[in-house]
Amino acid sequence: MGRPKKVFYRRRKVCKFCADKIDYVDFKDVKLLQQFIPERSKILPRRISGTCARHQRLLQTAIKRARHLALIPFTTD
Amino acid sequence: MRTYELMFVVDPRVADDEVVTMTADYRHMIEAGGAEVTKEENWGRRKLAYTIDKVNEGKYVLFYIQSQDGAKASLPEVEHRMRQNEKILRFLTVRTDLDLKRAGSRVSVVEPPAPAGSASPAGPAPTGDGHAERED
Repeated sequence: MGRPKKVFYRRRKVCKFCADKIDYVDFKDVKLLQQFIPERSKILPRRISGTCARHQRLLQTAIKRARHLALIPFTTD
Repeated sequence: MRTYELMFVVDPRVADDEVVTMTADYRHMIEAGGAEVTKEENWGRRKLAYTIDKVNEGKYVLFYIQSQDGAKASLPEVEHRMRQNEKILRFLTVRTDLDLKRAGSRVSVVEPPAPAGSASPAGPAPTGDGHAERED
């Protein structure tokens, strides 16, 4: 039936850690973690960052550890 | 063999010399328990991400610890002492051997941040700052 299918391209998201071959996410690596905490300092969801499940899990613990040591904020307001 | 990382944050009002003696004390404690401090990093004064006890800065010290499997654990004792030391704002012990083994050689490179403290080899800072891809 009917309408031609709309074609639009979406950039494929790639897990940064898989791409960079990082298998241990260090809580001390603030620079790296900072890429996954947007403005409100929440953890960037997989849906948006494209991180794979395993790496998101590692990232999550790393971020929480870093938060405990005040390397990274819990919130910003 | 087990490896740990122990990081603690000292109140910035504590003088640098005292931080050094404190570090040495803890180091002795760890070593008295049969473990070995393989590396020690002093990150120096650093801004905290949030206020702790009305303090905005902290002095960061990091130990890399190695111990044999059977060895008597000295770390709980060290942690206990840190908890009681009110000059220490935060501390964190992380066991790393299992995670590192699982990761193999694929490990994110952590550069000890530039500021102050003990001799840290000045390597070229990694510049690749690929930001997280998003679509809005």
